[in-house]
Amino acid sequence: MAEKFDVCVVGAGPGGYVAAIRAAQLGKKTCIVEREFLGGVCLNVGCIPSKAMITAGHFYHRMQHDAPEMGFDIPKSIKLDFKKLQEWKQSVCNKMSGGVAQLLKGNSVTVFMGEATFTSPKVISVKSKEGTKTIEAANYIIATGSRPIEIPGFAVDEKDVMTSTGALALDKKVDRLVVIGGGYIGLEIGSYMQKFGTQVTVVEAGPALLNGVADPDCVQVVARKLKKSGVEVLTGAKAKGFKKGKDGLEVTIDVGGKEQVLKADKILMTVGRKPNSDQSGLKNIGLAIDERGFIKVNAQRKTNLPGIYAIGDICGQPMLAHKASHEGVLVAEVIAGQNRAYDAKTVPAVIFVDPEIASAGLLESECKAKGFNDLKIGKFPFAANGRAVSMMETEGFVKIIADAKTSVVLGIHIVGPEASNLISEAALAIEMGARVEDLALTIHPHPTLGETMMEAAEATLGHAIHIIQKPLTRASSNGHRPTA
Amino acid sequence: MATQNVKLPDVGEGVTEGELVKWLVKVGDTVKADQPVVEVMTDKATVEVPSPYAGVVKELKFKEGDVIPIETVILILDADGAKPAGASAAPPQQLKTPSAVESQPGQMAKPATAPVSAAALNKVGTASAAMGAGATAGMDVYPPAADSRVLATPATRRLARETGVDINQLSGTGMAGRVTRDDVVKAKGSNGTGGGAGAVSARAPIMDIPRPAVISQPGALEERVPLRGIRKKIAENMQMAKHVIPHFTLMEEVRVDELVKLRAQAKEAAEKYGVKVTYLPFIMKALIATCREFPMFNASMDDQAQEIVYKKSFNVGFAADTPTGLMVPVVKNADFKTMLQISQEIQQLAGKARDGKLALEDMRGATITVTNIGSVGGVYATPIINHPEVAILGVYKIQDKPIWNGKEFTRGQVMNFTITCDHRLIDGAVAANFMKSFAGRIENPSQLMLDMI
Repeated sequence: MAEKFDVCVVGAGPGGYVAAIRAAQLGKKTCIVEREFLGGVCLNVGCIPSKAMITAGHFYHRMQHDAPEMGFDIPKSIKLDFKKLQEWKQSVCNKMSGGVAQLLKGNSVTVFMGEATFTSPKVISVKSKEGTKTIEAANYIIATGSRPIEIPGFAVDEKDVMTSTGALALDKKVDRLVVIGGGYIGLEIGSYMQKFGTQVTVVEAGPALLNGVADPDCVQVVARKLKKSGVEVLTGAKAKGFKKGKDGLEVTIDVGGKEQVLKADKILMTVGRKPNSDQSGLKNIGLAIDERGFIKVNAQRKTNLPGIYAIGDICGQPMLAHKASHEGVLVAEVIAGQNRAYDAKTVPAVIFVDPEIASAGLLESECKAKGFNDLKIGKFPFAANGRAVSMMETEGFVKIIADAKTSVVLGIHIVGPEASNLISEAALAIEMGARVEDLALTIHPHPTLGETMMEAAEATLGHAIHIIQKPLTRASSNGHRPTA
Repeated sequence: MATQNVKLPDVGEGVTEGELVKWLVKVGDTVKADQPVVEVMTDKATVEVPSPYAGVVKELKFKEGDVIPIETVILILDADGAKPAGASAAPPQQLKTPSAVESQPGQMAKPATAPVSAAALNKVGTASAAMGAGATAGMDVYPPAADSRVLATPATRRLARETGVDINQLSGTGMAGRVTRDDVVKAKGSNGTGGGAGAVSARAPIMDIPRPAVISQPGALEERVPLRGIRKKIAENMQMAKHVIPHFTLMEEVRVDELVKLRAQAKEAAEKYGVKVTYLPFIMKALIATCREFPMFNASMDDQAQEIVYKKSFNVGFAADTPTGLMVPVVKNADFKTMLQISQEIQQLAGKARDGKLALEDMRGATITVTNIGSVGGVYATPIINHPEVAILGVYKIQDKPIWNGKEFTRGQVMNFTITCDHRLIDGAVAANFMKSFAGRIENPSQLMLDMI
């Protein structure tokens, strides 16, 4: 006999578990099916563990390089116990995943651990070690996410060729790493491994790192620092294959028609992710899926089948946890009969490289493509910010792009310390339809990194024609206040 | 054999799904192009959906009672060599595009605001494209999602959505064209009154009344039925009208001895035309004549423009009780029609209403409404105005009553009337004068002759 629910969520990642909790809050009898771990990729083998490792890498690096300058007497070599590091990282993941379990329980969401398969648009079977269960729900929310793309010649075994999952689980130092794919995942992992002493080479097929994803000026700051720290970046380079040699792995790449061989101990495959729409029997029930594998959805995240919704990575770009969570809440409310539609103006994006890159709103190129031809752009460097100097983290800047006619903020791009934490203000500004003046006239506390946002806004106005203040020159906008 | 998929077309602005009422064909039937194949009830009306192709019915994809999103394949035809309707001269009907509405036959009449809606749909398309996932055709939401260029805070965008205002259509009064909360509230108040009478009743829910979530476990003590289709529409319209309009009702007892006599004569005379004359045409004529004296009764409010819209035509709606719920068909330009024509039209519309065959067009454009539900029973009622109209006339049953003529009680026939008004526009004294004038015409129907055109 099938167990019946109002709402069944398939996949307990940051989209699915959030949807389930909200559906339950709205009085729906809700269950969630998960085949691997609560919290999904994000909490277990993605965002959270990688941030733990990045924190450790940063810490390690600062002990070695910054602490002596401040007067600390640090021994030449600081030992790092990789096994202990892994245990700590895992404890972070377990805390987060355990929290999800508690929240689901506290909201009376039934959790089924097992592999879900749609047998019809109304029924799924859940297979687990204990056997097979049948679930029938009036509404389904598909939140089964995405997985890494593999390229020919590099079969993933998580030993020689790893995905992010394997790399995050490494319990000993790797001497030489070749990263295939210069996107954000490859760079985040490559950067922290470099800090642990790994010699890292990045092989990127496109013309630049983070191509089309991040502001080119921001990327330049990161590229420069990577180079300085010894990470080799090869752009326009295609990975062809690898073999095992006497001295580790030999990776063949093609740079502008010329073959090169790179020596490595491990290969990290981070060329992108693809939606899991070929799984869970989704293709058998007549669900409309586009040519890239995304489930087609409307602004309410309804699919072509009545009662079936899709959220997160599986229904389209950007494949980001916070977009999935936003959609999760939205869909649960739609199911509960509330009129909701996806109309967010921006999904902020954060890249935890060194220094961090974060952005909200449009890139310059996107502004032009949208017909904003007359732009005002202002930048403010962290080097002129008291807090950044006192933190010994002065690389980078805040860049604001505004429509010259209306002063409305179109995009904000940050590269620098805590860019990830600073970007939320930018996202709020864009959602609220703020003008540059709104940022400039908001009192930001001193001395904080946040002041750079206000000062970048003032720098933007320095170039404007219609402003209520005296026109500011670049020099005066860059000048910082005496400290209190 | 070639097969053709017949989809549930976009049957009207804002309609996203329909409930399958009845299949008009079965597997094995031969279908001609443009032949109605299925009856579908949307939240606006019940429509017959024609097949754009000729062929033999191979498969019915849904059963009666199913709720089907538009653009879903509902039927598969074996269409060996069959061409779409009108294939030789005209291009085939494109059921996929929003403009397909225009090429549908009469019953799925093109909504008055179709161009606006098409533009809005395009906007949704671009917004979703930016998200990387193309909108699934025909599943657009109402109101459409805010275009990325619209300047409004997330809270304002949500208010617009919840109150059924298409934020893309507003020109913001705030800095840099920002749509403010006030803009949305104002737009909500005047929704549709600018764009032709009756447009509003066909629009999305307009409500900012918080609805408490009722949480209860399904059990044997109750049966839960989804609020759908016409019932849902009625619920939304009533809630909105009651919320927006400050109602008041004035009641009057009117002697109708003369009217009863006149109607009996007219009834007999009309019989040879095969037309049944009821009291309603007389009441409509008296109402129109009185509205000419008091034009604010045949009007609506445009809140956004802060203007009173006086209607130059008299389209009289009348409430009809149907098996699926209350419907309000409209006798259009009733002031230019004879009593006989009006009678005939009422008879036709009431029949259509009973059979669930009213088209959207039959229910559009009322400027004032009459409800004679009271003829079934009840002394007086306090009806709800059919927003955006500003008045509704209630008609109750004729009764014999003792009338004191100063010396003795005599038998008199009386009929009760109510006029329910939008107090924003109509004051109590005005309503009393209106009723007095109206009652005069009913008591002395000969006076109606003076009003004749």
